[in-house]
This record gives sequence, C-alpha cells and structure tokens, in this order.
Amino acid sequence: MPPEPFEPGDTAGEYVLGVLDAGERRAAAERIASDRAFASEVSAWERRLFPLTSVIASVAPPAYVWARIRAALGHDRASPARAAPASPWQRVNVWRWISAGALALAAASMVALFVGRRAPVAPTQPAPLVAIMALDNGAPAFVATIDGAQGTLVITPVTAWPDAQHVPELWLIPAGDKPHSLGVVDAAKPITVTVPVDLRSAIDPASIVAVSVEPPGGSPTGQPTGAIFAKGGISGI
Amino acid sequence: MRHRVHLRYLCVADAIEASWQISVGGDHVTDLTESSSGIERLRETLAAVARGDSAAFETLYRSTSAKLFGVCLRILPKRSDAEEVLQEVYTTVWRKADAYDAARASPITWLVMIARNKAIDRARAATSERHAEPIDLAADVADTAPPAASVAESDNERRRLDGCLGELEPQRRRLIRTAFFEGATYDELASRSGVPLGTVKSWIRRSLLKLKACLER
Repeated sequence: MPPEPFEPGDTAGEYVLGVLDAGERRAAAERIASDRAFASEVSAWERRLFPLTSVIASVAPPAYVWARIRAALGHDRASPARAAPASPWQRVNVWRWISAGALALAAASMVALFVGRRAPVAPTQPAPLVAIMALDNGAPAFVATIDGAQGTLVITPVTAWPDAQHVPELWLIPAGDKPHSLGVVDAAKPITVTVPVDLRSAIDPASIVAVSVEPPGGSPTGQPTGAIFAKGGISGI
Repeated sequence: MRHRVHLRYLCVADAIEASWQISVGGDHVTDLTESSSGIERLRETLAAVARGDSAAFETLYRSTSAKLFGVCLRILPKRSDAEEVLQEVYTTVWRKADAYDAARASPITWLVMIARNKAIDRARAATSERHAEPIDLAADVADTAPPAASVAESDNERRRLDGCLGELEPQRRRLIRTAFFEGATYDELASRSGVPLGTVKSWIRRSLLKLKACLER
C-alpha cells in the first residue's frame, strides 16, 4: 500500500470521535474553555456524530447509583429547592455537620451518663466508643454509639435515606477481615443493635463500620450487595 | 427478541414519566428524548434543574439515565467504572445545568456528550480496564444492525449520517464506529486492528474530512 499523504488533524472532530490520548484531550478541553471558535467546532461535531448514539441500547442503572448521586449532592427529601447555585447547598451541608456533631455529642453524653450510672457496678467497664459514618464527600450519614461491655450499639441516621426501594444494612469490618452484618437498620430513627458475641472482640479502633444499600430485608448473600453508602472508623469519645 | 420496558417510578408522577417508554431489543431503541415534544420537555426540565429544582433533577435522571448509562457501558468495559462515571455525570449536570446552551445542542445531545467525555476521560486513566478485543476489519458487524426504530425528529439527521458513513470504505467506517462507540485511541485502534498507526491516523482524519463535507452538502 502506498504511504498516505499527511492529513492535518481536525482536532475538534478527533476530540468528539474519542481518539485523542489523555494529554491531547486535556489540551483540547482547555482550548474549549478559552477558544470560542474551537468550542463551536466541537459543538458542531457533537451534533454531527450524536445520531450514532441512537443504536446504543439503553441500560437502566442500578438503583444505588441514584442513591449515591443524592448523597453526593447532599439532597434529602426535606430540602427545599436551591435558590441559587452552590452556596445554599453548602449551607445545608454545614447544618448537617452541626446537627451531626450535636447528635454525636448528645448520644455521647447519653452513653456517658449511662456508663457513669453503671460505673459502681462495673468499675472495669471500657470507655464508650463512637463511630461516625460519613458519605464520600465527608458529610456524616449515620452515627453509632457503642457500648462495648454490653455489646450494643445505638445507630442514629443524621441524613435522609435517599432510596425508598432499598434499606440500610450495617456492617462491622474488622481489620483484614470481610464485612460482618449487624443487620438492617432504620433509615429514619435511632435503633439499638446487639453485636453477636463472637464479634464483640472486633469492636475496636482497628475496625470499620459501614452502611450499605440493600434490598428490603437485607443482603441476600451475607455480604454487601449494594454500594457502601457511608463508612467510618471507631474511636473513643 | 424485542420487548418493551415501561419505566415507572413511584416517587415521580410527572408528564414525562407518564408518557415515557423505552423499547429495548438488541440495537432497537425508541425514545422520546429525541421527539420534538420530548426535546421541549427535557429543555424545560433542564431549565428547572438550573434553578435548583431537585424534583426536576430526579425527573431528568429518571428519563435520561438509562441512555447515558448505555453510552458509558460501551466505553467502559468494567461496570463499576460506568456506574461511577454516571454518578459523576449527574452531579456535574446538577451543578452546571445553567451552562446548557440551547443554541448549541439539544438537551439529550448535551447530556450524552457529557457522559461520553467523562467516560472517555475515565478510560484514559491508567487504572481503568480497556477494550482489548481485536477489531476484525473484514467483518462489518456494526453496520448490519437494523436501523433504529424511532419516533424521533432527528431521524433525518440519523439517515444523513448513515448515508455519509456509507460513502466511506468499509474498513474506515468500522474504525470510525469503533472509535466513537468505545472511545478508542489511535494507538488502540492500530494495535487492535493490526493496521499501522500512521495508516489508522490517516484513514480516520480523511474520513472525518469526508464526513464533514458530506454532511454539509
């Protein structure tokens, strides 16, 4: 085959077609932001090639993707429409932090009170522990206060559960071990969970607690089947 | 086999939901995001999202996420990558809905291109799984797919693009389609098809020029 003559690239077309490598794509993206003529060429290529997508089969994404999106954006059912972009929902997050902090503190003092009252009876009782399970963006979603001696844990939701078709399931993940289910928890109010006796030794700062998105009734497999909604370490109060 | 999937969601009772149907069967997709009334409704929904209306955002997600997820899945062989990208797409849409320019693109074009760009960017990340299966230039598989059944206004554009793609040599058409559907780089196209890199570049660049000229005729 004779060598083809050199063809100058139509960078906008190549960008939309998807053949550019990572560095070339970054350069093109920067050019879109700064060069209006180039941005128009890209738009024109997008309109030209878009009809190709009509043969791509639609695939419904799993429900937990929507749950994650709502969680990442800090949306909940009670939140009103955003008045202006950015700042109001940042404020919402601030409030969520404050309320979570307050809740954790309240829960902690309840535990302290509880432990304090019992102190004369059980003087060697370990210090109470707390776990704040946070979303990927750092906002807290569930707070657990743990009574290691009793093997119980009070888990309190501090953000709205985003997926009415699925339920939150609590997991204890000892260091280097697989998740162990502590059962389905309530998405709307605090409940007390009893940790199985053989897992109580794992209630320590080396373990992680997490909440996953599961079908009603909980994971059918004994391991998380949906996305991890929130997770956090265990620490002393 | 062809079956109809009626997408119904409990949380949203909305005109779009009520009329929304997607028929999925092989490469057949009929969707209303491309009909003129669908485009108008989607445009209104997007405008409401830009004002921070989270119910409109949910409507937008319910009516477009299956299409966008399909686009991501073609580019990213690993399903969890596609799910993460889809999440990123919609968080971007929520934040940038006010940047949508109706003069430049229909709402669904804008959304699909955001999904494509994010999926391709993800595919370029070193940790991502990539398509590696050989491209058999002798088999023009993709082009044997039946034309999509559609109620769409954009049927004409699709027929024109199909017509112009039909003017390309089959091997070049196959490379163009693989590049578009899978977001494959020149290097990947060359190694997967066994065609030298310089030839692949030349074919694609010439094909883009021809396509542009044909579509502007």
